[in-house]
Amino acid sequence: MDPFSNKIFNFFKNIGNICFGIFFSLGEIVLFFFDCIKYSFTDKFYPKVFFSQIIKIGYNSLPVVGLTSIFTGMVLALQSYTGFSRFSAESAIPNVVVLSITRELAPVLAGLMVAGRSGAAIAAEIGTMKVTEQIDALKTLSTNPFNYLIIPRILAGIISLPFLVFVGDIIGVLGGYLICTQILNFNPTVYLQNTYNFVQFLDVFSGLVKACVFGFIITFMGCYHGFNAKGGAQGVGMSTTYSVVSSSILILLTNYILTSLFFDL
Amino acid sequence: MRKIKIDIKNLSKNFDNKNVLNKLNLSIYESESLAIIGESGSGKSVLTKCIDGLMEYDSGIISYEDIDNIKNLNSKNKNIHMSKFGILFQNAALFDSLTVEENLKFADETSDLSGLLNDVSLPKSVLKEYPSNLSIGVQKRIGLARAILKKPEILILDEPTTGLDPIIGRQIILLIKKLVKKKKITTITVTHDMDSVFEFSDYTAFIRNGLICWYGKSKDILKSRNKFLKNFINGIY
Repeated sequence: MDPFSNKIFNFFKNIGNICFGIFFSLGEIVLFFFDCIKYSFTDKFYPKVFFSQIIKIGYNSLPVVGLTSIFTGMVLALQSYTGFSRFSAESAIPNVVVLSITRELAPVLAGLMVAGRSGAAIAAEIGTMKVTEQIDALKTLSTNPFNYLIIPRILAGIISLPFLVFVGDIIGVLGGYLICTQILNFNPTVYLQNTYNFVQFLDVFSGLVKACVFGFIITFMGCYHGFNAKGGAQGVGMSTTYSVVSSSILILLTNYILTSLFFDL
Repeated sequence: MRKIKIDIKNLSKNFDNKNVLNKLNLSIYESESLAIIGESGSGKSVLTKCIDGLMEYDSGIISYEDIDNIKNLNSKNKNIHMSKFGILFQNAALFDSLTVEENLKFADETSDLSGLLNDVSLPKSVLKEYPSNLSIGVQKRIGLARAILKKPEILILDEPTTGLDPIIGRQIILLIKKLVKKKKITTITVTHDMDSVFEFSDYTAFIRNGLICWYGKSKDILKSRNKFLKNFINGIY
């Protein structure tokens, strides 16, 4: 084969390898998902592990989600004031703050923060168990690793995230309220009245639905990458990185899809 | 008369086009202690993982008593098959997030732990400790206790003395010898350590390039004329 043909051949070979890799990974993820579904209904459930994961994923993430939400609400109020004051629409600030927080910012930011905090921890914990043969030990002790490690974490993620986001909604709105009443001299009663009158059930509900989906994505990707960790410490590190990166990208992607769906409602 | 417990025929296993096990044949007999020795990467641990069902093999047959080929077992029966084995993993593989007591109760909730700890020469005080607070020697003893707790038909010891100093290593060897004699369990030991081979193994299989290169009574190893086995024992490469 002449050099030019060789280059062309290698180019298509590389494209083929990349495509094969993508489809192989997708196939593995789908099989992992079906295993999760299968074992959810066919084997033992571990409530103790489930509740400890609720504490780890939900309760322990409250400070980081609270801080993120309050600062986001404060910045949102300040930035909205800068824009709206140019055409005397300051009264719309409470509406913008509550809508942005409940529909978008609280779920997405909480999702990203929990992906960085709990998703990484899940991948690292399960990955370490994999490379130190603890998962093999589970199997020989007649314990299905899916039932003991994976399903309680995924369920805990799906249940915890909406609660975290709901708390984030309240704290985010509080952040906007503090800036507007303490710095921008808004009337506190009018601010709260505007917020209360403007917000609708669907605004909060759509954010909570997103939170459920993000909770699933974070814990599922953490478990998947941890469960497939290979090698030693380096493999665990890579699984943690993949878990956070893939969760973050999927959160942003599904956020768009879910927003489009709720926008149609 | 010796009774075959596990019969392995033409077992092959590849990793990324690398032939780790290459049509390997081996029989493991009931109530006997077999040592599997060989260089690092020769396929010793892979072989035991194929036997206990933790790893799928590409081709060949592993028959276990009345099971023709464990590869054909469905997932439920595979779990039953796995539960017949007690395994001491290379790094003990105790669950980090659980105390020693919880680790042991994971294997059997009803057993008397004080008697078990006595068997592995450990004080009762270790029960409340987490594995990370214990030395690797103590972790291996607990791993051994967990492996024998559920009264397995076969005990697999994966490099039981690796990472231990000579004194602790010797203690573990003597402990295993005592337990193997007392419980009369079929034992498969994967090791580089010739002391453990001579101390408690009835038979030895030497693996090289994915095949059994030598098989015989452990006491006959030093008399063997097999060049590769001699080189392995004498550390000549």
